[in-house]
Amino acid sequence: MTDRWTPRLSEYLDGDLPLAERDGLEAHLRTCTACADVLVELEAVVRRAGSLPDTEPTLDLWPAIAHRLASGDETPVARWQPRARRITATLPQLAAAAIVVSLISGATAWLISSRAAPAPAPAVVVAEAPVRDALTPAAEASYRAAVEDLRRVLDADRAKLDTVTVRIVEHNLALIDRAIDDARRALAADPSNAYVSAHLAQAMKRKLDLLRRAATLAARAS
Amino acid sequence: MNPRDAGAETLTRDQDTARAEADAVEVALAASGDSRAFERIYRAHVARIHSLARRMLDADLAEEVTQDVFVRAWQKLDTYRGEAAFGTWLHRLAINVILARRASLATRRSRFLADDAAIARARSRPRAPETAIDFEGALARLPAGARQVFVLHDVEGYRHEEIANMLGLATGTSKSQLHRARMALRRHLER
Repeated sequence: MTDRWTPRLSEYLDGDLPLAERDGLEAHLRTCTACADVLVELEAVVRRAGSLPDTEPTLDLWPAIAHRLASGDETPVARWQPRARRITATLPQLAAAAIVVSLISGATAWLISSRAAPAPAPAVVVAEAPVRDALTPAAEASYRAAVEDLRRVLDADRAKLDTVTVRIVEHNLALIDRAIDDARRALAADPSNAYVSAHLAQAMKRKLDLLRRAATLAARAS
Repeated sequence: MNPRDAGAETLTRDQDTARAEADAVEVALAASGDSRAFERIYRAHVARIHSLARRMLDADLAEEVTQDVFVRAWQKLDTYRGEAAFGTWLHRLAINVILARRASLATRRSRFLADDAAIARARSRPRAPETAIDFEGALARLPAGARQVFVLHDVEGYRHEEIANMLGLATGTSKSQLHRARMALRRHLER
C-alpha cells in the first residue's frame, strides 16, 4: 500500500526532508501503520547494504594483471580478448613483430656496445611473412641473438647501476620471460589463436625494449 | 561513551592508520616500478574493488573490470599525491573505470528513467525458499540506474550530490532512484 508520503520515506530516513514536510510525515506515521512498516523495512535495507561483505573474485586475477603490466598493454580487457572468433591471420604479425624487434634491438645493441653517440635507429622495413615463417628457426635465432647481445652489454655494465634498478629490471625480465613461456605453450597447443600470438609478439618486443633501455642506462652511467 | 566502545574506536583508528602507512610504503615502491609491491597492493584491495565492480555492473564483467582498474592504477600511480588515503584514491579511480565501461556498453541516461518491468522483477517477493534469491541477487536484478545509485549511496556512502555529479543526473533523480531500489530490495531481506 502506498500513499502520498510513501515516496518520501527514504528522504525522511536520510534526513533529507525539509523541516515542514518532516513534521507532516511524522504526524502521518503516528496514524499510518503501513507507512510505519515500510519505514522499518527501509531502515533494514539500509543497514543490510552497509554490512554487505566484500568478496574476492573466484579466480586470482593477479597473473593476468601482471601479464598486462609486463607487456605494457593498456587496452581494457574486454576489448583486448577476442570473444569467440579466432583469426588465423595474425601469425604473420607475430613473425613480422619478432623480426622487427630483433632488427631494432640488434641495431641498438650494436650502438650501445660500440659506445657510439646516440644516433637515430636505422629504418626497419616490415615485410609480410607467410604463416609458415612465424616461428621459423631463423626468426627464433634472430630474436635470441638480439637478446644475447643486449644481455652481454647489460651484464658488462650492470655494476654501474644501483641495486634497486638491477632488482627491478631482473624482476620484470623474469615476469616477461614467464609470459613468453606461457604464450609459447599456449601457441603450441593452439597455433591459430590470435590472442596468444599477438601477446607473444608483444612480450618478445617488451623484453627487447626493456633490455635495450637497461643496457643504454648502464652504458651511460659510466 | 562506553569504555569498550572507546577502545574499539581507538583500535579501529590505529588499524586504519597502520593500513594507510603500509599503503604509502607499498605505493612508493610500486610507483618506482616494483611490481611485487603492486601485487601486495592488489591483494590488499582486490576484494573491495571486485565487490564494487560486481555490484555496479553485471557479474560476468566484474573480473574484467577489476583487472582494468588495477592496470589503470599502475599507470596512474605517479599521479597519486597522498592527499587522500590510497584506498579512497583507488576506489574513486575504480568508479571512473566502471562508469567508463558502462558508457562503452552504450548504457544511456534514459536507463535511469522508469523501468517498471525490471523494478517489478526485483520487487517480486520470493515464492518459496528454494526459489528465493538473496539480497545481492535482488540487487543485481535492479535496473542499472537504480542499482548504481543504491550501491553508491547505501553501500559506498556517497552523497546524492556526489552521485548526481558522477552519473550526470539531477539530485532529485538520484533520490528517487534510491527510493525505488530500496522499495524493491526490502522484499529480499533475509529473515
